[in-house]
Amino acid sequence: MYRLIIKQFIRSRAVVVTLSLLFIMGVVSIFIGRQFIEHEQRSIEQVTQHQHDHIERNVKYHGENVGLLLYYLRFALINKPTELAGLSIGQRDINPSVQRVTIRNLEAQKYDTDLQNPASLMYGNLDFGFVVVYLFPLVIIALIFNLLSDEKENATAKLVSIQSQSFRRYLFVKLSARAVVVYTMLFILFGIAIVVLNLPLDAALLAFVIVSVLYLAFWFALCFWITSLQKSSNYSALALLSLWLVLAIVLPAAVNSYVSNKFPVPESLSTFIKQRDGYHQKWDVDKGVTMEKFYNHYPQFRKYVAPDDEFSYTWYYAMQQMGDDEARYDSWAMRSKIRQREYTSRWWASFVPTMHAHLSFNELSRSSLENHLTFLDQTNAFHEKLRLYFYPYIFDNKPLPKDAWDSFTPEYTEHVQSVPWVSTLLPLVIVTAIFVLIAVFNMRKLVLH
Amino acid sequence: MRKNIVVLIARQFMMQVFKSSVFYALLLIVIAMLMFAAYSGWHSYTVQNEIRTHYQQEARKSWESNPDKHPHRMAHYGTFAFRLKHALSMFDFGMESYTGNAVFLEAHKQNSVNFSEASFSTGLLRFGEISVAMVLQVVIPLIVFFLGFSSVAAERQMGTLKVILIQGASWKELLVGKSTGLMMITTLFYIPAVVVIFFLLLFEGSMESDIMLRYGAIFLFYFIFYVIVSVVTIVISTLSRSSKDALITSLGIWLVFVVLLPRTAQAVGSYFYPAPAKVTFESAIEEDVIRQGDSHDPNDPHFKAIKDSLLHAHGVDSVQHLPFNYSGFIMREGERLSAVTYQRHLKELLGIYERQNDVGKIIAVLNPYMAIRNLSMAFSGSDLFAYQHFQQQAESYRYELAQTMNELQMKYIGNEKEKKGEKPHAIGKEHWMAFPDFKYKFQPFIHIAGTQVWSIASLVLWCVVVFFVVVKVSKTVKVIQNV
Repeated sequence: MYRLIIKQFIRSRAVVVTLSLLFIMGVVSIFIGRQFIEHEQRSIEQVTQHQHDHIERNVKYHGENVGLLLYYLRFALINKPTELAGLSIGQRDINPSVQRVTIRNLEAQKYDTDLQNPASLMYGNLDFGFVVVYLFPLVIIALIFNLLSDEKENATAKLVSIQSQSFRRYLFVKLSARAVVVYTMLFILFGIAIVVLNLPLDAALLAFVIVSVLYLAFWFALCFWITSLQKSSNYSALALLSLWLVLAIVLPAAVNSYVSNKFPVPESLSTFIKQRDGYHQKWDVDKGVTMEKFYNHYPQFRKYVAPDDEFSYTWYYAMQQMGDDEARYDSWAMRSKIRQREYTSRWWASFVPTMHAHLSFNELSRSSLENHLTFLDQTNAFHEKLRLYFYPYIFDNKPLPKDAWDSFTPEYTEHVQSVPWVSTLLPLVIVTAIFVLIAVFNMRKLVLH
Repeated sequence: MRKNIVVLIARQFMMQVFKSSVFYALLLIVIAMLMFAAYSGWHSYTVQNEIRTHYQQEARKSWESNPDKHPHRMAHYGTFAFRLKHALSMFDFGMESYTGNAVFLEAHKQNSVNFSEASFSTGLLRFGEISVAMVLQVVIPLIVFFLGFSSVAAERQMGTLKVILIQGASWKELLVGKSTGLMMITTLFYIPAVVVIFFLLLFEGSMESDIMLRYGAIFLFYFIFYVIVSVVTIVISTLSRSSKDALITSLGIWLVFVVLLPRTAQAVGSYFYPAPAKVTFESAIEEDVIRQGDSHDPNDPHFKAIKDSLLHAHGVDSVQHLPFNYSGFIMREGERLSAVTYQRHLKELLGIYERQNDVGKIIAVLNPYMAIRNLSMAFSGSDLFAYQHFQQQAESYRYELAQTMNELQMKYIGNEKEKKGEKPHAIGKEHWMAFPDFKYKFQPFIHIAGTQVWSIASLVLWCVVVFFVVVKVSKTVKVIQNV
């Protein structure tokens, strides 16, 4: 019977068209992901090359004047996208993967955005995550909405129920035939992705696959629940599409607008102004006052004295430091505001599978907001390390040994791979189980006319 | 075509809809969504503009509070431009969330516009946003399909279609009548949006003629859009064998036009016209500037030539004897050159973006949803052109600021370097106050209409097409559809 059902199912032209379309979209999305990764890869190579040339040229011009040289020199820190980011580009297209900073005031530099086409950002990426979160459910709906109602409307239900031992079992087989086809499609696409994107077979990928499987299971459960209400095809189609609209568009948008209205980030603008004023206004302040503040921050540099009656780079970088120091509170407040947004979103997401799947994909692919916040923190540490390394040279006005510059190639951020299995999978399991239970309960009373 | 028959059929259609309880539930849901959307649009408009105006004033205060100093210090001190939201962005957020909101304006350097809402947002933003416009564009068409899919198909299935036609109504009257009825029902969903936005504009005191023109244009275009959607729904219902087929076809069309096409069109555009990475863009400019002449390099041929001709023209032998400040002059020249170079590269980059967006623009001719989306954003001041308009204003203000400071330097600063221990060169702080603050001006109405020719053409074209389709269908359709 199983084979016959699959055969009957695959024979329908609409089904074949729908599945082919899904397959094409899936493959296209994987190639779009690859293009994104290659673009980032090229950008990283260019940064590496550029940094080398840039240092060489500036050392040639200003090598003797370390203070001036470091005014110009920019050093790159790279938050390299994982291969998995090809499946879920997430916020990676909005937030930069490369920070190129001078040792001057960091708050003036670290929020600089990438070049981007706002129209593309608005329409969103057609990545594999989108195909799984949006399109697979639509296909599941299309395949299942008339699972039972079709048999009733064509009066085949009674016929089948007479011929088979259990009509419920028959329905279940019909459902599982569709599930087999959809999951086969999913696994084929994952197979293609592994090859095309050269994905490492690691825990993150496994989690990504399991989240997809559970997420689709949720949609099967939801569709089965609507089927179990035993209404007409029209009713089921409308109900399911409305549910899709609510889950995939309305609820996430509502939560997002709640979060962004609840936590506006004026701190970003105050940080912006404070870092400028913190540095620039020191030009009009007594040098001693600035130096004293600088020594309080870095007691180890107290031995370097800035002459009172002329310009010196010791004073200059002390002023630059004040930009960061005086914007510190606002910058911290901005950071914690953004974290609050992240936590609130995640909390709401755990009740809504679409949101949960999307955010989990981003998390696993390291393309989430959280990942970017971590990158900003890593930028702070990177910048501090550079400062502490260069300050003594600048303050002594002692050129670096020539070969020292060779070691200043772009650095990469490091990450510990860990998958929060329970918080990633549990919400999907619970929601799916709830719908399955209700559906099974409803199915106990099956009316065939 | 007899008017009274059309009215009769329209009224009968509406009566039928009014009888179903689903209609009231949908109406309530839509009104609730509209109110939520209007509230969050209004909230974010007022809060964000308040924040941005506040910081624009703060920035101005700290600019003006600078003591006497060298004008070039002020050129580096710089100032900020904060992007204000247009009043109609309450209605349609468009690209608002993806565009930067604040930019630091200083000499020598074109900074990026930072702190977009998207940069503070979790992935949830990517599901889209609930604005009044989103409800009008995405949800209401779906509801029109819900309410209209069975209009003719069900009558056919139940056999009442024969009765209507036998009683003397023509196919054309039937189609026009049903479409009119559906359109009237649609209006019930759409009027609350028109009203609530009007009151929000009134409440915010944004009733200038330019805003009213935009407001009028927006709702006129939506009206046309709904006429198209209503007629298409009725035509699908007429051509389908059963109401189930009609429903599946309409939902399919909705999915393709609203969910799939826009994103795919943009993805195709981006795929075939990849934009350069930031580092590529910046280093290309850097190289060009160095090639043209480096004002920091004393032996640079470009600047050396300028120096020689200056000395010659003024009949002096060293720059110290020039009647104006020489380094101010050189910086003015450097600023001019680098600004021209930057603009050239920027134009190239924007050209790439435009080509990426062109795919969508062309598809909009086939997809009225994209046309209305573009029009709605454009007239709400939240589309790409509005953003680029801001960027241009910020850049010309920056340029003006840098050059004004250079000119002040040329005029008031001596050519002799101050000696050690001497008071540094400075000019009076009244000059800072004399330089006007940044004031953002929105695009005028007519300017926007010019950018939207394609989308307007699309809606007009669709109107013509649906008109002919109705004529054609009413001639060829049969009461009993063959399989």
